[in-house]
Amino acid sequence: MRPVAISVDAPEVSRDLVHKAGYTFLILSDPDTTVIRQYHLLHPGGAQDQHDIARPAEFLVDSSKMVRWTNFTEDIRVRARADEMLAAAQQMR
Amino acid sequence: MPDAVQRRKNIAPWFGLLFAIGAVGCNAAFFVNPPLQGTLPWLSLLFAALALIFVVTGLWRAFGQAQVYRGKVLSVVLGVIALLPVGFTVFVFVAARRLPSSTAAPQVGQKVPDFTLPDTSGKLVSLDQLLAPVPSPNSSASSPESHAPKAVLLIFYRGYW
Repeated sequence: MRPVAISVDAPEVSRDLVHKAGYTFLILSDPDTTVIRQYHLLHPGGAQDQHDIARPAEFLVDSSKMVRWTNFTEDIRVRARADEMLAAAQQMR
Repeated sequence: MPDAVQRRKNIAPWFGLLFAIGAVGCNAAFFVNPPLQGTLPWLSLLFAALALIFVVTGLWRAFGQAQVYRGKVLSVVLGVIALLPVGFTVFVFVAARRLPSSTAAPQVGQKVPDFTLPDTSGKLVSLDQLLAPVPSPNSSASSPESHAPKAVLLIFYRGYW
């Protein structure tokens, strides 16, 4: 399973984050929320400066692009834990 | 006559402050990503409610039952101090849950839309590439693990870090 993170942050912003935090997973940028809208995850005015951002969501997608597991939090403080996501990936086999 | 000496201590305001601090502490707990963190928002709200109950109890004892309890100044001062974290907790609870519905998003059993987006170096990456049965750009073609990933985990996050 390959984790891929997506947000409205520009590539340079995410690059700084990677440098600071030492992340090794792939981070993709969707600054104009095109893909976020396609996935129906737009949170209009969700950023502190009122910009549109994504609502938090996780999708486990198999090689046929089928969704096998999702997590849609109802509270931005509550996120899927790594062990929950790994357990979901292991159940796919 | 010496009833001022016999009046009981009013410790309810201290419990009010304690639960108010506990309510804020719940917010701090999210940063360690604990198990069962889905209960933390409700725990913070419960603590905030208990804090209010003890603050009101302390005030009622000090002013409504002044012949029995002491602590007029204490119950007011601690009550005001406790209201700050209680107000913060309720505000954050409401703000953190003001999220749009996810019902239109792809659900289990549905296919996800294709996409192509730039990575941190500006290079475009498509979902097809992520799922393709070729090695990822980072691994060598001769790698024994150059098979397709069984899956990708798409993690949409709010950004603005």
